[in-house]
This record gives sequence, C-alpha cells and structure tokens, in this order.
Amino acid sequence: MADALLPRAWIMRALYLALCIALLFLHLLPLEHTPPKWAGPDLVMALTFAWAVRRPDYVPVLLVGLVILGLDLMLQRPPGLWAALMVMGTQTLRNRAPSLRDLTFAAEWASVASTMVAITIANRVVLTLLMVDQPPLGLSLMQLLSTLIAYPAVAIVSHALFGVRKRAPGDLDTAGLRS
Amino acid sequence: MARDRGQGEDYSGPLKRLLLGVLLLCLLGMFLIWRIDSPRVERFRAQVVDRVVPSFDWAMAPVTGAVNILRDFQSYQRMYQQNQDLRRELQQMKAWKEAALQLEQENARLLDLNNVQLDPRLTYVTGVVMADSGSPFRQSVLINVGARDGIMDGWAAMDGLGLVGRISGVGRNTARVILLTDTSSRIPVTIQPSGQRALIIGDNSIAPVVDFVEAPDQVRPGDRVLTSGDGGVFPAGLLVGQLAEDPGGRMRVRISADYERLEFLRVLRSYENERLTDPGRLIAPVILPGSEAPESAPDTAEAAEAENG
Repeated sequence: MADALLPRAWIMRALYLALCIALLFLHLLPLEHTPPKWAGPDLVMALTFAWAVRRPDYVPVLLVGLVILGLDLMLQRPPGLWAALMVMGTQTLRNRAPSLRDLTFAAEWASVASTMVAITIANRVVLTLLMVDQPPLGLSLMQLLSTLIAYPAVAIVSHALFGVRKRAPGDLDTAGLRS
Repeated sequence: MARDRGQGEDYSGPLKRLLLGVLLLCLLGMFLIWRIDSPRVERFRAQVVDRVVPSFDWAMAPVTGAVNILRDFQSYQRMYQQNQDLRRELQQMKAWKEAALQLEQENARLLDLNNVQLDPRLTYVTGVVMADSGSPFRQSVLINVGARDGIMDGWAAMDGLGLVGRISGVGRNTARVILLTDTSSRIPVTIQPSGQRALIIGDNSIAPVVDFVEAPDQVRPGDRVLTSGDGGVFPAGLLVGQLAEDPGGRMRVRISADYERLEFLRVLRSYENERLTDPGRLIAPVILPGSEAPESAPDTAEAAEAENG
C-alpha cells in the first residue's frame, strides 16, 4: 500500500513544479509593456498555501524553496528573501494543518490570509531596513488583496481538478500510518 | 491516533528541522550576498535567465503571436474608422515629411559649412523582444541579442523613433532592457529649446517624472526632451519624448517610443568616448641650442604637437 502511495506524492510534487513553471511562462509572455494600473494575484503563493494546508507532503520545504528561488531570479525580485519567507509561511501552515483539518473553509481562508499578510509585511520591512528599491505600496496591497480573493478559486481547482484533498480519517499517509 | 502522529514526527522531526534551518540560512544568505555584492549575483541571474528563457522561446513565440492575432482581430471591427484615421494621419505626415526633408538638407549644408564631425560609430544591433519582466512591479524586457553580439551594459535601446531604455544585465544570448518607466531608471536629459538639464525618473507609470530641472520656469509643456549624454554612459541627442504637466503640476515626459507595441528594439553601440586626461604639454623648440642628444627631442615634440593639434 505504501509503495502504491509513494509515487502519488512524487507525481503531485512534479505536478506542483509543472504548474509553477506554467505560471512563470504566462508571466513572461511579452504582451503588455506599459506599466499596469492594477496587479494580478500571485497565483504561485495561493497554490503553494492551498496545497500546504491540504496535503503538506505534496509541497516539501525544499521544493518550495527552490521553486520560489527560481521565480525570484526570473522575475527580478531580490533573490532569496521572498523564497525564505514563503518557506516560513508554508511551514507555519503545515504546522497548523492538523488543527485546520476539521474546521470550515472560512477558518482555513482566514489562516492563509493572516500568513500572506504577515509575510508580505515582513518582506516590505526587511527591504525597507536594507534600503532596497521597492514597488509602490498601492500595487503591493492590490496584489495581496487579489491573491486573497483568488485563493478560494485556486483551492477549488486544486480540490476538484488535481485531487488535492484533506485527509479523511480513514486514509493512510505516506509513512503507512493511520492518521 | 494523535499520539501515533506525534511519535512519527518526533522520529523524523530533528532532521526535518535541520533541513528547514539550512534551507532558510541558504536563502537568507543569498539575499544578503545579493545586497552586499549585487553585481556578482545579478550576473548569475543574467546567466540563469539566459539559460531558461530561450528554452521557453519555442512555445512563447506562438502563444504571443496567437494572442496578438486575437487582439488584431478585435480591431478589425473598427477597420473602416481606422482606415479613415490613418488616411488623415498620412496626409499630415506627408506635409511633415516635406518639412523634414527640407530641414535635413539645410542641416546638412550648415554642418558642412561648419565642418562638423559627427560620431561615425553610432551604429546599432536590432533585437527581438522575447519576454517581459513577468511582474507588475518591474518594467523591463528581454531581447534576443547578448554578449555574443557584443552588447554591453549601459547601452541605449530605441524603437524606430525614441528611447526605450538601457541595457542592464547581459547574458550570452539575451540582454535585459530596463524601460524608462521602471522605478530604477534614471536618465540625464536636456530639454529643448531652453537647453535645461534634468533627470527623468521612472515611477512605474507610463509617463516618467522630470526632476532636477535647473530653472523650472524656463521649461513648458510641449518642449522636446532629448538625452544629454551627461555622465558619459549614454549617447547624446536621442529623442525621449515631449514634456507634459500632470494634474498635480509635476513635469512628466510623454514618451515617444511606442510602449504599446515593443517588438523590435535597436541597441545603439556607444563605445566610451576617448578621454582627455593629461594637460597640454610644454611646446619646446625643436632643437635646443647646444643640446647633446637631439635624436629623441624632435620626436617627442612632434608627438606632443600632433596630440595637441
């Protein structure tokens, strides 16, 4: 049984990587060169957190760290900082996941929202302390807000399309233990 | 059940925590190194981009093309009206073209009269836009010419008409162009006809701010903005745009380059100008009376004369 489950976790990890690369690809398409008036959601963040809350074993910290570091490099962000914050956020949600399992979606949403707000603020504070050029505050807030709004959609798609569901009481986890 | 779980975590917990700690340390360390020694890490970033983006290119080009075709298709609905507009515009352009031709001839005559030497090395390399910055906070594009084609950091990139940005970050096959609208863009300019020097500063809006004007009362909306070449990084005299005033009363530049459609960019080769560092030397008589070693003296004097001349 454990043998049959192990590949599934690896398949989902590969799927996570593929989704992130696809999102990067869409971001890089040279369609719009004028500065935008609004900022779209950070779908990678929503995806990572949605999966971390549901199935932490699909998004191991090492994978998240490397993927976000790659995105940092590709998207001209200060390399490393956002990746480190995302790893911390994922870890926080991972620790909360067992207690969130029995609660409603609203509670999960609130939990994810608080994490997103916290790491966004931490990001700005660190950048300010180190005197790095920053994007305008309005755009950052807009991106945060649109990510929060997009989160339920990402969660639904993950649930329905990719089968990332919370563990039911009878499921076996990857170590073969009853959870 | 919860106990089982807890024990399982105890078993692999320290190892995972160690991994987490090491990972965080590496990431934050990289960030700090970037903050301390930015050029090296940026070079690494350029190499990564150089490796990754061309491998996307086979898919990127068709998708971009398809989206653009769709957009064009939408504009077909307004074709008749557009056609009329274009005809009218063309008529105006013809008049301007006449004027420009006459001015060009006059200019050439005047330059000839004054015996002016233009810089002959202002040639360009044309590149295709491959990708944009991918983030709403950064305004830059990636073009498909790089160190292989002799591109160097700091060169100017233009579309057919006006300045688009400057090269910052060169890989082997790709180079990044920081657009004028990016928050980190600062370009020294002259405002004509008053000749005031200023800086244009990108602020993530379509019209960058003009700041540090020496005498703000001498410039007015509609003035032409050209690069000034101050600092020796940029060639002088490239068209940037027209001055405009925003509702808040700040001076901004309406950029001449068509940012709606950046497809091909010209990168101007601007090698650094020769610098005059030594002061003029003493011009000695060709042969000093009664000197014992007249062999070397005329050479140096001649050389000095040639340099001064």
